[in-house]
Amino acid sequence: MSDGRDPAQHEAIDWEAIERSPEFQELVTRRRRFVLPCTIFFLVWYMAFIVVAAYAPDFMGESVYQGLTVGYCYALTQFAMVFVLGIWYLKKSDSTFDPLADRAIESYRDDDSHPTGRLEREPEAAPEVRS
Amino acid sequence: MTVVAAVNVEALIVFAIVLSITLGITYWASQRMTGASTFYAAGRQITGLQNGLAISGDYLSAASFLGIAGLIYLYGFDGFLYSIGFLVAFLTVMFLLAERMRNAGKYTIADVLSFRLNERPARTAAALGTLAVAAFYLIAQMVGAGVLIQTLVGINFNLAVVLTGAFMLCYVIFGGMLATTWVQIIKAVLLMTGIVVMSLFVLERVGFNPIDLFTQAEENATSEDTTFSLAPGTFLDTPLDTVSLGLALVLGTAGLPHILMRFFTVPSAKAARGSVVWAMFIIGFFYLLTTFIGFGARVVLGEDGVEAAGTGGNLAAPNLAQALGGGAGTVGGDIFLAVIAGVAFATILAVVAGLVLSASGAVAHDIYSSIIRKGQDSEKEEVVVAKIAAASIGIIAILIAVIGGEGLNVSFMVGLAFAIAASANFPALLMALTWRRFNTTGAVCGVGLGVFSAIFLIIVSPGVWPGADSDTGSPIGWTLANPGIVSIPLGFLGCIVGTLVSSERGAERSFTELFVRSETGLGAEKSLPGH
Repeated sequence: MSDGRDPAQHEAIDWEAIERSPEFQELVTRRRRFVLPCTIFFLVWYMAFIVVAAYAPDFMGESVYQGLTVGYCYALTQFAMVFVLGIWYLKKSDSTFDPLADRAIESYRDDDSHPTGRLEREPEAAPEVRS
Repeated sequence: MTVVAAVNVEALIVFAIVLSITLGITYWASQRMTGASTFYAAGRQITGLQNGLAISGDYLSAASFLGIAGLIYLYGFDGFLYSIGFLVAFLTVMFLLAERMRNAGKYTIADVLSFRLNERPARTAAALGTLAVAAFYLIAQMVGAGVLIQTLVGINFNLAVVLTGAFMLCYVIFGGMLATTWVQIIKAVLLMTGIVVMSLFVLERVGFNPIDLFTQAEENATSEDTTFSLAPGTFLDTPLDTVSLGLALVLGTAGLPHILMRFFTVPSAKAARGSVVWAMFIIGFFYLLTTFIGFGARVVLGEDGVEAAGTGGNLAAPNLAQALGGGAGTVGGDIFLAVIAGVAFATILAVVAGLVLSASGAVAHDIYSSIIRKGQDSEKEEVVVAKIAAASIGIIAILIAVIGGEGLNVSFMVGLAFAIAASANFPALLMALTWRRFNTTGAVCGVGLGVFSAIFLIIVSPGVWPGADSDTGSPIGWTLANPGIVSIPLGFLGCIVGTLVSSERGAERSFTELFVRSETGLGAEKSLPGH
């Protein structure tokens, strides 16, 4: 039992051709165009919360309405951010990324290597092949 | 309002119910144990929702439940700050790792590193990172379990640790990941039910107006030396330290081996993605309610309850449950306390089982099977070794917890686990999956520098050396308790510099395969055929 590579399949798939294919390039570009800004946004919005809490505790403690403080409101936006980005990414993946990924590996769809195919168990103790 | 010291019969009954259900699951899972894929990855047949619950069960430790409620009770806002970090961390997991891990990995995080790097050094480094995180986290949880069960149920600390360890090993050895997953799912359901019921009781006291809860909580913090505040800064009083902690929290989760291992249990990347979002909603909802428990404890127990809440306020939630049920000595109070104690017990069991399983994977799959036996062992042999490894790791953790006893600093070890995860495991994984030029030297340097800088900076931190009570400060003038702000950049730096100084280029070729596989799922590990 070594890592996940099946030698037969490793030989059979032309990974470089897939990587060069326009479908794969489009998948990577479009996913990056979504994930990168989202990641930067959530890290900045979250770290800003931490920095403000650390360096401006009095501002965070100011009351917005009775016992509800600025800090608690800012914290609630973090929850909202997590839920919204989570759902948005799910929708975006279903509508855009998954179909693109399927098209990128279309030529391997019907053989044993399709990820969702119903397959036999992998051979035991397959020796590892290094490229 | 103190928790009973004598043996608490109601709590024992609840514990017995929790244990019989989980043992039943373990028996059921042991009947379905077919090999390594079932043992490490539950046959990759766990659905997205099930895995979302199991991630929550794996992640929400007693520190999340009792610890954060206690910190909010004692310090107000600062306790809440931890929950935000623990939650937002799942965006890091979702955007950067979850699907890629599912597509590229098999049983352990080392699989992903060794996919394109020289197997022996890369696996050794990754196994070191996994074992370091799992060991500190596991010992912390065991000590926490001992203290908690001793206080809540009235049985001896050592007995409580041994009992927890014995059941943890039982789930892992006989039921593997399949039993562990279902123990975690049941724990998540119990925990959510418990906290929803408690929150409803709390909200009922303030006419279901959460803002009234905050207002009354602040009105209740009238004593001169109260630490409670609706503003931050009462617990986390060194700004740079708070920033460092915040960084380790948001990146650390993406390096926790027992959480990442959960993505190997689902059939596809789509299910992995779905399971993170389920986990976000469950965990987010949980942390929102934790604030009601913390503020509720402030309203109901007031300043007088501080002493009874113990170190770090860990007993604030159980004491609140007792008070909400009618108070000490009443039937309602005793039953509510027993149920919350049982939920806390289930919480600990589910987390330690996940940890021991990830550590046994590092020993059996990475070190034994791939490095010592060079992949020539049979699947059966590997599973046997994994069970022996789980037993050894579990027994060592029990021994350290018993010998170290209650004096071991739990929050220090949890902090260390998160710091190592964020500084060693996360940078190396992210680089391996996204940077074409990345190579073996980079991985070894990154993991090594991350692990050692995190451990070193914690050892010289003011609270550890020369000790919390000393006023001389750290021997090298280091003032931060949390190493993340230095050790995380060092982890990344190790990866980058190590890569650039090395002339090794083979890793760039195999990057193409890993890249295509992690982005599309082509060639990813399959789930076992249906039942």
